[in-house]
Amino acid sequence: MKLKALIQKEFRRFFGDPKLIITLILPGVLIYLIYSLMGGLIWDRPQTHDYNVLVLGESAAVEALFETTFGEELTLTHTDDKDAALEEVKQGNVTALISFSEDFDNAVASYDPSSGLPAPQVEIFYRSADDTSSAFYTAATSLLSAYEGSISNAFDVNLGDAQYDFSSTSEVIMSVLGGLLPFLVVTLIFSSCMSITLESVAGEKERGTLATILVTSVRRSDIALGKVIPLSCIAAIGALSSFLGIALSMPQLMGMELGGVFVEYAFGDYLLLLGLIVSIVPLIVSAMTVISTYAKSVKEASSYSGVIMIVVMVLSLVSTFVSGIGDWVCCIPVLGTVVAIQRILEDGAALVMGLISIAVNLAFTALFIFLTAKMLSSERIMFGK
Amino acid sequence: MEETAIVKAEGLRKTFTLSEKQRKIEKTSQKLKVAVDGLSFSAYRGEIYGLLGPNGAGKTTTLRILSTLIRPDAGDAFVGGCSVLKEGEKVRDKIGFMTSELKLEGFFTPSYLFDFFGAMHGVDKAMLAERKEELFARFGIDRFAEVKVSDLSTGMLQKVSLVVAIVHDPEVVIFDEPTNGLDVLTAKVVTDFLLELKAMGKSILLSTHIFSLVEKLCDRVGIIIDGRMAAEGTLEELCEGKSIEDKFFEIYEGIKGETV
Ligand SMILES: Nc1ncnc2c1ncn2[C@@H]1O[C@H](COP(=O)(O)OP(=O)(O)OP(=O)(O)O)[C@@H](O)[C@H]1O
Ligand SMILES: [Mg+2]
Repeated sequence: MKLKALIQKEFRRFFGDPKLIITLILPGVLIYLIYSLMGGLIWDRPQTHDYNVLVLGESAAVEALFETTFGEELTLTHTDDKDAALEEVKQGNVTALISFSEDFDNAVASYDPSSGLPAPQVEIFYRSADDTSSAFYTAATSLLSAYEGSISNAFDVNLGDAQYDFSSTSEVIMSVLGGLLPFLVVTLIFSSCMSITLESVAGEKERGTLATILVTSVRRSDIALGKVIPLSCIAAIGALSSFLGIALSMPQLMGMELGGVFVEYAFGDYLLLLGLIVSIVPLIVSAMTVISTYAKSVKEASSYSGVIMIVVMVLSLVSTFVSGIGDWVCCIPVLGTVVAIQRILEDGAALVMGLISIAVNLAFTALFIFLTAKMLSSERIMFGK
Repeated sequence: MEETAIVKAEGLRKTFTLSEKQRKIEKTSQKLKVAVDGLSFSAYRGEIYGLLGPNGAGKTTTLRILSTLIRPDAGDAFVGGCSVLKEGEKVRDKIGFMTSELKLEGFFTPSYLFDFFGAMHGVDKAMLAERKEELFARFGIDRFAEVKVSDLSTGMLQKVSLVVAIVHDPEVVIFDEPTNGLDVLTAKVVTDFLLELKAMGKSILLSTHIFSLVEKLCDRVGIIIDGRMAAEGTLEELCEGKSIEDKFFEIYEGIKGETV
């Protein structure tokens, strides 16, 4: 009954204030806009290209095939100096370098796959970060494999040991961003939990309205719960908004259709992901409640939580990029969740780890609520000078 | 007088550990500060009891002990027969505690806050509605019942705070420095309110350093100096025909051995 009134008060305070709602939803909207924009910039490539391609060695058949396919867009220039040609590709002065192995056409014609001898080779050196270069590479390889198919696997494309790609690919950037997803989710949840909890708990303490509640006969544990429960619900809305912002803009960012990302995971994986994300909200809210109750002012509380936020960010960033972390991390709150989310996204098999992480999050939440109740009864913390 | 005391303090003692910063402010090298030192007194039903003392005498500390916000190191106090040490929650339902440090959330309306604090004290809904109507009409809050607290005038805000503090119909009202920092009009709102409460049969315990307030309101006075009860009695007993101001300085000089 008293708890219910406390919870209702918190909701009423929040949903009666349009400013607070906007600050809650805004991050998600911003993320969506920024990410979509970034995605648009990366993936909107021009429709026509000017391919200026160097050729080492020769193959009348392949060159003719290219010239008829690309037509006006393609200029082929023969060269003998491989090193100089590679340098030109690296510098971006030319689109790509095609290198045919010796006497390519004849070798192809007389190649016997059962002989066990290495097949004649075509190598294409290019730069994937360069839109034109990577477009040419994609088109050329598909042409070549079609050609290869038509003459029964008589040569290989880019099968040597050389490094063919002279820059990190867009895909690499994207996979990094994809790997960052759990980190982003945690960071966003953290910031939405932080702002509302500081405002509500440290704010009330600073304004003296918490003391007014303390002189009533309400139990201290009810006050703690009356903060953590509604604030978690509210923060979950903020987290959901951020999550939707990321999820909806990811496909655009990665240049994929919306469906592509989502169909890969099983329903159970989604439940687990949701459970992880949802269970981390009360954990962070209750941790922030402890800090806010302890601090004398909003300013003090926000400097404490700023430190914690940085620690959490760094740790989860590290766990994102350091592979081979043992399963024991799931016993560490927040960190375990980051790793579990990551594993689910990678290969969808992290049930035990996910469940343990959820349990750990909830256990720590209970601990923090208990601690808050203790602190609310402490005269030194509530009424100390 | 064979009345039983409604508020009874028995040998209250409270020591604070001073931080580095506080020691500098108080200009002392002692780590411990005895704020209340073996304080005993009794306040009776239907009376206004005033704790009179200079700054730092231990008034706020005493009232906080009585309202269970802080615990005494030694001694105990009873409100309506309940021990502040052992029955904290019961005591909090028997008292209405008011100080300028307790604030109301500016975002809400008086009507909502009344209901909210009623719920905090576990007052049932029908009773709450009845009390709201009566109290709001009596103190002229009814017209402002749905105005956000932050938009109210200082005087009206003060009335709302007072009414909200007695939402649960407490037997005892404890009020730390009732008129501190208030302008003359708002101060009058408060003193009138206290007299009104007395007329309603409430027992009131207040602290102050203002002589005129004691003369105007109090039936019984306790003079606190350095955390100890220096003198106690009804206003007439204590003053012996002198003004409370003269009497206070007489006692003060007697204890401190110096003229002010
Ligand atoms: N939380 C605390 N920590 C340390 N010292 C304290 C604390 N609260 C009060 N004191 C000290 O105890 C003494 C008594 O303080 P108290 O606030 O009870 O006095 P007071 O009679 O209310 O005075 P005032 O008229 O200034 O309000 C003062 O010296 C004060 O500095
Ligand atoms: Mg005081």
